[in-house]
Amino acid sequence: MQSRKLIVLVAIWAVLLLAPYWMAPLGGYTALATRVLVLGLAAMSLNFLLGFTGVLSFGHAAWFGLGAYGAGLTLKHLATSTPLALLAGMLLGGLCGAILGTLIVRRRGVYFAMVTIAFGQVFYYIAFQWSSLTGGDDGLRGFARQPIDLGVFRLDILTDATAFYYFVLSCFALAVAAMGFILRSPFGRTMIAIRENERRSRFLGIPIERHIWIAFTLSCFFMGFAGALYALVNNFADPHGLHYSQSGDFVMMAVMGGMRSFWGPLLGAAVFVVLQDYLSSVTVNWMSFVGLLFILVVLFFPRGLLGFFQRSRA
Amino acid sequence: MTLLLLFNITNGLIVGAFYVLMALGLSLILNLSNVINFAHGGFLVIGGYIAYAISPYVGFWGALLLAPPLTALIGLAVERVLIRPLYGRDPLYSLLLTFGLAFMIEDGTRFIFGPQGKPVAIPPFLAQPLSNDLFFITGYRLFMVAMVIVAIALLFVLLRYTRLGIRIRAGTLDLETVAALGINVRMLRSLNFAVGIFLAGLSGVLAAGQLGLEPTMGTGLLMPSFIAIIVGGIGSLPGTLAGGLLIGVASGVTAVFFPAASEAVIYMMMAVVLLARPRGLFGEEGMMS
Amino acid sequence: MNVLEINNVTKRFGNLVAVREVSLNVAKGELCAIIGPNGAGKTTFFNLISGFFPPTSGTIIFDGRDITRLATHQRVARGMARTFQITEIFPELTVFENVRIAAEVAGGYRLRPWINRVEATKVRAHVEGTLKLVALDNRSDRLVGELSHGDQRAAEIAMALALKPHLLLLDEPTAGMGDQETFQISQLIRKLHRDSNYSIVLIEHDMRVVFNLADRVCVLDQGRMLAQGTPKQIAANEAVQAAYLGHAA
Repeated sequence: MQSRKLIVLVAIWAVLLLAPYWMAPLGGYTALATRVLVLGLAAMSLNFLLGFTGVLSFGHAAWFGLGAYGAGLTLKHLATSTPLALLAGMLLGGLCGAILGTLIVRRRGVYFAMVTIAFGQVFYYIAFQWSSLTGGDDGLRGFARQPIDLGVFRLDILTDATAFYYFVLSCFALAVAAMGFILRSPFGRTMIAIRENERRSRFLGIPIERHIWIAFTLSCFFMGFAGALYALVNNFADPHGLHYSQSGDFVMMAVMGGMRSFWGPLLGAAVFVVLQDYLSSVTVNWMSFVGLLFILVVLFFPRGLLGFFQRSRA
Repeated sequence: MTLLLLFNITNGLIVGAFYVLMALGLSLILNLSNVINFAHGGFLVIGGYIAYAISPYVGFWGALLLAPPLTALIGLAVERVLIRPLYGRDPLYSLLLTFGLAFMIEDGTRFIFGPQGKPVAIPPFLAQPLSNDLFFITGYRLFMVAMVIVAIALLFVLLRYTRLGIRIRAGTLDLETVAALGINVRMLRSLNFAVGIFLAGLSGVLAAGQLGLEPTMGTGLLMPSFIAIIVGGIGSLPGTLAGGLLIGVASGVTAVFFPAASEAVIYMMMAVVLLARPRGLFGEEGMMS
Repeated sequence: MNVLEINNVTKRFGNLVAVREVSLNVAKGELCAIIGPNGAGKTTFFNLISGFFPPTSGTIIFDGRDITRLATHQRVARGMARTFQITEIFPELTVFENVRIAAEVAGGYRLRPWINRVEATKVRAHVEGTLKLVALDNRSDRLVGELSHGDQRAAEIAMALALKPHLLLLDEPTAGMGDQETFQISQLIRKLHRDSNYSIVLIEHDMRVVFNLADRVCVLDQGRMLAQGTPKQIAANEAVQAAYLGHAA
C-alpha cells in the first residue's frame, strides 16, 4: 500500500518534470502545460476546502482573480519583482478571503454556496467598475513577469517558455507540499473529521466554525497564489477571472478529477483545459459542449475520474 | 432632480419586480428541494424566446397566456430527467448540473435565434406613455407591474389555500414528516419545480416585451435574485418579496447619485444585512445553518 | 464532591416544555442512570448537559464552575464527553483514525499544522490503550463503517474515552443490540465505572442493564423528575410503577 503510493507519487512528478519534452510530440505546447499547472493548483486549492473539509464554496474565483490583480498591480505600479508580485497576490486574495470568511462560516451546504457566490461577485463588480485602477472590462495590461535574479545567474522566465514552466512548477510544488503537509497534520485531520461528521466533531471538542474559517482562509491564500501565477502566465488580469462562472469551472475541475483524492483536481484541470482549448478551436458552440460535459459528469461520473477508476478496480 | 429620482425609483421598482419573480421561483425550489437552480435565468430566456417565436401566430396576449405554461412543461421535463436523480446527493451536484444547463440554454438560444432577438411586439395602446411629463411611465410598464402583482398574489393564494400549496409549505418545513404521511414527495418536488419555472417563464415574456431579447439576459438577473433571497432571509417567501423590491429600489436610487455603483450597492446591502442580521430580514433562526 | 450539579433546568421549544425544572447532582465516581418513557425529555436533558443548546432557565455546574452558557467544545475541554443514541462516528475512517482525532484534541494539538515524533508516539500509545480498553485493538485498521453495530458503539465510546473525560454521558449505549452485544457493552461500562472510576450518566431503556449497573436511578416523565433513588427504591416506588413501568408493560 505504502509502496504503491510512492510509485504513483514518483510517476506524477516524473510526468510533470518532463512535460516540456513530451507535450510537443503529442501536439501540445509548453504554455498549455503551464496553464494546466496553474489552473490545477487553483482547483487543488479549492478542493482543499471542498474535498477535505466538505464545505462548498462556489465563489472561489474571487480569491483567484484578486491574486491575479494583486500580482499585476504590484508589477505595474510598485515593484518590478516577480517574487514580490506573487507574495502580494497571495496576500490580497488570502486576506480578503479571511475577512469575508468571518461572515460566511456559519452557513452550511447550499446556503454556504449561495453566500460565497454572491460575495465573489462583489469583487467581480469592483474589478469591473473600478476601471481607473483595474482597466475595467478590458483587463489590466502593461505589466510583465520579470526575470528572476538568483545571484549566480538570471532565470529568464519572460521569454523562455521552458524556463517559465519550471519556475511555475517549483511554485506549484511548494504550494502543493504545503497543502499535503497540512492535510497530514492534526489540524488537517480535524478538517476531515468535520467533513465526515460535523456533529461528532463538535462533540469531540472541535470548534467547528473556527476550524472551517481557518481551512477557508488557507484555501483562499493558496487560491490567491494560483491567481498571482496566472497573471504571470498571461501578463494580464481581467475581471472574468473573478466571475462565478470561473468558480464553476474550478469546482468542475475538482469534481471531474475526483474530489476525494489529493491529485484528482490536477487531473480534472488537465482534462478540462485541454478539452476547452480543443473545443473552442473547432466550434463556436463550445459553451454547449462544456455545459453538456458538466451534466454528463454529474450524472455519470459523480466521483470523478480517479474515483471511477478506484471503484472499478475495487 | 425630483423627476430624475422618480424616474429611477420607477425603474428600480420595475427591475425589482423582475427580481422578485425570479427570486420567488428560485426560493421555492431551494426551500423544498435544496437545489440552487443556476439555470433559472435560462428558463427566463426560454420563456422569452417562446413568446418571441409564437407571438406572430397567437399575438401578444396569446404568447403571454401560452409561453409560461410551456416553459413550465420544459422545466418539468428537465426536473424529471436531470434533477430527480440528484435528490439526496450532495447539493453540489445539482448546482453543477444546473450550471452546465445554463451554459447550454444560453448557447442553444444563440445558436437557434442568433445573438440578438427583437422585442416581442406589444399592443399599441400599452406602448404609449401615460403623460408627457412622466414619459417613462408607459402603459406597458404599469401592465408589467400589475402582472407581477397578480402573479405574486396567485402564488400566495396557491400556497395558502390549495392542497398542493399547503403540502409544499409543509414539505419546506419538514420533508420527512410529509413523506411519512404518505404524500408523494417526488411528485410534490416536480410540481413545485414547475411552479418556480412558470414564474421564470412569465418574467421572460414580460421582459421580452420591454427589453428585447438576448441569450444572456437571464444571467444578469440571476445574481440580484440570489441577493434578494439572502437579504430577505433564506426560507422565507415574504422575505424574498421584500428583498427583491428593496434591492431594486436601492439600485434605482443609487443610479441617480452614483451610477457606477448602482449594481455594487446591492452587494453592499447584502454584506450589511449579513453583518447586522445573519439570517436575513425575515429569515427564521436556524434556516441559514 | 459533585462532578455535576444541575439546578432547576428548563427547556422550552415554543409552547412545548421538553424539560421542566429538573435538578440532578452526580457525585464523583457515581454511575447515574436516567430512565423514562419515550418523549420524557431524556435526550433533551442530555443535550442541555452537553451544550447542544442552552437551557431556557436554570444553571449547570460542572466541576464547581458554571458552564450553563459555554459552547460544546468548551465543555469538552473541561472534561465532558458523550455518545449518541444513534451512533455518531466517522464511517469512512479506520478505527484508529477515529480515535486518533479525539486523542489529538485531548492532547491540545487540534490547531497544529505539524506534530513531532515524540508527540505522535504519545498519541499513538494513548489511542492503542483506549482501543484495548474497549477490546477493539485487534480491529484498529478496519473502517469503522464496516464494523458490526456493537463494535461501532464501542468505537464511539472509545472516541469519548480518548478525550480523557471525567464525566461520561452515554445515550442508550445498548440501543438496537442483541443480548450478546448488550451484555458485552454493559460489562464494558461496569469496567469503566468500577476499575477506571469514571463518573457516568447513562440513558437506558433496558432495565436489566440499569438495575445491574446503576448506583442511582432517576426517572423522568413528561419533562419532570419523577423520582430518584437506588435501584431498589425505584423498583419499589409506586409512582414510578404507575407512570413508567406501566407504560413499558
